[in-house]
Amino acid sequence: MKEIDFKHKMAAHCETGTVTSLLNHKGLDITEPMVFGLSSGIFFGYFESSNFPFPTFIVRNKPGSIRTNISKRLGVKFYTKKFRSDKEGEGTLNELILKDIPTAVQVDFYYMDYMPDYQRVHINVHFVNIIGMNDSSYLISDSYFPKKSELKKTTMQKARFAGGYMEPKGFLFYPEYIPEEIDFEKAIIKAIKKNAFYMLKLPVPFVGIKGMRKFARKVTDWPNIARDVDHLSHEIMRINILLEDQGTGGAGFRYLYATFLQQAADIVKDDGLKDMSKRMMEIGDNWRNISYFAAKIGKNRDLGPERLKELSEMINARADEEYKFFNDLNKLVK
Amino acid sequence: MKEKDLYVDFKPQQLIYYVEKDDASYGPVVSGSYLSKHYLDDFIGKRNKQELALREQLKKGEISPIYYYLVMQEYGEKDLASRAGVSVRKLKQHCKMENFVKMPLKVLKKYAEAFDIPLVNFFHLLIAKQESTGKFSIQHLETDNPYFVVTKIDEAKK
Repeated sequence: MKEIDFKHKMAAHCETGTVTSLLNHKGLDITEPMVFGLSSGIFFGYFESSNFPFPTFIVRNKPGSIRTNISKRLGVKFYTKKFRSDKEGEGTLNELILKDIPTAVQVDFYYMDYMPDYQRVHINVHFVNIIGMNDSSYLISDSYFPKKSELKKTTMQKARFAGGYMEPKGFLFYPEYIPEEIDFEKAIIKAIKKNAFYMLKLPVPFVGIKGMRKFARKVTDWPNIARDVDHLSHEIMRINILLEDQGTGGAGFRYLYATFLQQAADIVKDDGLKDMSKRMMEIGDNWRNISYFAAKIGKNRDLGPERLKELSEMINARADEEYKFFNDLNKLVK
Repeated sequence: MKEKDLYVDFKPQQLIYYVEKDDASYGPVVSGSYLSKHYLDDFIGKRNKQELALREQLKKGEISPIYYYLVMQEYGEKDLASRAGVSVRKLKQHCKMENFVKMPLKVLKKYAEAFDIPLVNFFHLLIAKQESTGKFSIQHLETDNPYFVVTKIDEAKK
């Protein structure tokens, strides 16, 4: 097995994890929370679409925008490529590995067969770093897995060229250029302003704070669209998965963002940001209470109208808190 | 969240959480999944129950194998339709047995690829009670003919 000298480490999230590891490998000393915050990663969106089997919500910005925003804010240049032909996609990846360039690829998570079966779902926006190969397998550094893993090349081809919603088309990237001087202070302020805009002012009724309120309204209707009580229980318990287990660092990325604000406060030398970081940590704790609550009522099949109303009120309370938080944060960085 | 309040002992699913440490700094720690530690049995129980119910419907011809895998693999209709190269309307038709039997083999092959199963799995259900005891393994080996697999039942490697 040819193996690139690459430090594998777990991360909260796959995209921030791959980007952070690649930047570290290229010599930039940056943390995962800083990558997340600088790319204005915190978000909320409630979606009802036939792309998903059931209404769902997201708690981070659009897949791919961690890399693009880091590029904009820090001036890092990434080599990126999509492919029409899977053969060409495989050939290019292999050439990069032979040149000792660790490379991130976008894949359908379902094919990552080193993960436990119960976790594997079809989602086309998982990112892993490829850090070695032999004739039949790739060596993978997946932020969600404690160790480096091997994956058959044929399986990786299926994962990189799965069709469907947000199809990867063999997408790969790696950092080509990192500026010698980076103005982190300026980048932090810009990223925070943008994030406040996403949460407060995007004129779309299902994103940001408006998205949370929509989620709070709609969750009480979920019994009408679930197949049966077990299905409803499954979807309610998925709230916990989406907030805690699907690569968020806990509490739907709120803890990760709190950590970013604490690190940012040191760079910008602003104690106001430190206070905001504490507030965000508390908001995270309250989201985590929703996670526990959803898991408990789902397990107990305690899913009557009163209980779902309670859940809805908890979500609305988070919307109130975050509305105030992002307004205050916006004022602080103006 | 404080570090001391987080730790969950569950080795099969380790996650990174960001927490408040003793010195008031925030940073990453590794912990097991709370949900999997406490509720994985419930998840698997629901899944098994659903699988059995769908199997019964499949045996009675009330649903097609496409619907079976659509539900079991938790696909969105639009996502699966796009992978199979059909419209959502067609996909809904293919979920019924009477339309499934009229489907061209080429389209069926596309569905099989989306579900990552051999074609033959649309037409039979192989139940092997001893499989879970690890006494033997079942493998579908691909051949140069994309419409043909060799199913190999082997003694499990010790």
